[in-house]
Amino acid sequence: MNAESMELEVQLIERTVDKRNALLARAEEQAKKILKAAEQECERIRSESERQILTLAGSELRAARDRIIGRAELEGRKLLMLARDELLSSVFSAVKAKLKEMVEGGIEAVDYGEILLKLTVEAITEMGGEEFIVAANERDLKYLKKNLKKIKDRVKTVLGDVNLRLDDNPIDALGGVIVRNSEGTKIYYNTLEGRLRTVRSRIEAEVAKTLGVI
Amino acid sequence: MLSIGERLHKLLEEAEREAERKIAEAQKKANEMIAKAKAEAEDRQIRARRGAGIDDLIRAEEEKAKKEAAKIMEDYRRKAEELRKVPDDRFKESVDLVLREVLPK
Repeated sequence: MNAESMELEVQLIERTVDKRNALLARAEEQAKKILKAAEQECERIRSESERQILTLAGSELRAARDRIIGRAELEGRKLLMLARDELLSSVFSAVKAKLKEMVEGGIEAVDYGEILLKLTVEAITEMGGEEFIVAANERDLKYLKKNLKKIKDRVKTVLGDVNLRLDDNPIDALGGVIVRNSEGTKIYYNTLEGRLRTVRSRIEAEVAKTLGVI
Repeated sequence: MLSIGERLHKLLEEAEREAERKIAEAQKKANEMIAKAKAEAEDRQIRARRGAGIDDLIRAEEEKAKKEAAKIMEDYRRKAEELRKVPDDRFKESVDLVLREVLPK
């Protein structure tokens, strides 16, 4: 065999091997495509099945979800409500502290004696009648004793002359009075604590609005 | 003894057979995969129609809802914290408002 024939033979072998390799590579590629398409089809089957099952189990799933989310919403709202209540309580505690300071004469701009007189006159005129017994704490009783005439004069403009007595037994209160008629059938609570409680129930929403929490 | 031409021809024939085998094998595997997926899907649907087999779905839904619930709670906690940060002037205004109402006019 001469060199030219040998060269031709080598080329033929190379071409054939290339052809063989290309053939196998194409087959490999096609096999991969087939498997990939199958995987996609499997995924589609699973998704479709999942969708159908979800439709079947829809109401139970919704119920399970609603139960958990509903509870969280409820607890969350409770948390907010507690935070609001704490804040409101801190306002009313601050007011109580200020009232205490006031009755002890700690606030110069405030004349607690005048406030006490107003509370007493208010209680008497609101009750109506002719005879009244006024109860107060020890400190306020002393002040009222000194100013009994002043009270009578102020009441006179509304109810005329009244018989006014002070109860010697002091009450346990921050300030203010408890007024009753002589028969004890009518009682008017006009203590500062009592008024604070009444105000709280009356204007709590307004306070919350002022605080900006509703 | 085969000539070089015959040997190369045989090589190509074998390669073609090998290629066909590979494709057939892949097709067979693909058919099996699809058949299995179909059978499983059908089985799950039959079980779901009977009410069985949805426990897992419910558990998954519950897990999803629990994560959502945790987010909701976190939002409310954040809001509650915000509520507590009332500016001093508003707090003072509220105290004054209550005080005005408590004290006699």
